[in-house]
Amino acid sequence: MYRLSNSAATTPVAKQSINGESATAPCSGDRSKFYLHPGQLFVASESYAVTTILGSCVSVCLWDPLTEIGGINHFLLPMDVGDDQASLRFGNHAVRELIEEILGLGAEQMRLRAKLFGGACVLEAFRSRENHLGTKNVQIAREVLQAADIPIVGHDVGGDRGRKLIFHTDNGSAWIKQL
Amino acid sequence: MAPRKILLVDDSETILQMEQMILEKSCYELVMARNGEEGVAKALETRPDLILMDVVMPKMNGFDAVRHIRENVQTRGVPIVMVTSKAEAESMETGYESGCSDYIIKPIDSLELVAKVKNLLGE
Repeated sequence: MYRLSNSAATTPVAKQSINGESATAPCSGDRSKFYLHPGQLFVASESYAVTTILGSCVSVCLWDPLTEIGGINHFLLPMDVGDDQASLRFGNHAVRELIEEILGLGAEQMRLRAKLFGGACVLEAFRSRENHLGTKNVQIAREVLQAADIPIVGHDVGGDRGRKLIFHTDNGSAWIKQL
Repeated sequence: MAPRKILLVDDSETILQMEQMILEKSCYELVMARNGEEGVAKALETRPDLILMDVVMPKMNGFDAVRHIRENVQTRGVPIVMVTSKAEAESMETGYESGCSDYIIKPIDSLELVAKVKNLLGE
């Protein structure tokens, strides 16, 4: 079973593994493929290979190693500031909703592990500034995960380039291609 | 201080009007172009501080326009946000490889557009 929430597959070509394994292209095997758009959230109890493209946006990847339930979001802005509080475009909501959806499928919070990707700033002049959008997106993700006591066991954030991310929901494997 | 200048490149008058409506509130100076070829010419002529670039356009598509803009030393550093549809979003890998800075998906959300524009203008 999988659930896709909105705010509203091609063959992966990976360049870097973010879990210490070999940096070869990931083999999706029997996994179904899914493309995640900005403002969406995806969780599954079956095995999926989820792809998304990140610039200043951030994706939080979560999975339960025992039940192999996993999920991923893709948010654009750090905090909602108006009435649009339910929108998955905002990190403070998108990360909490991802946790709730994964627990709803039967994962255990104390077993959850997280990986964090994205938050690029392409302009060198602004990259050291703490208030650029990518940095703020990463920060809110870290804050919400810390509040939920979920360890971040891998990440590839910041920098000056977009990323193509492929995440396997069953075992938490993740590959990044710098664009 | 002179207002920041944004070049809007889109073959849809509706999208151009929407972008204009959203960005005029933040007091930017706006320049329009209606295809990729005109977008490249206007980028050279007006030296905008940021470009919003549609993907599918006549005469020259957005990815090719971005490549041309990046090839010119006078415009290679300008931030470029691709404006793409959901169906085209998976091709954004090509967009980044062409040299874009970020992307936004239609229908355009005003909050998201302003946040990305301000972010890339360092505001």
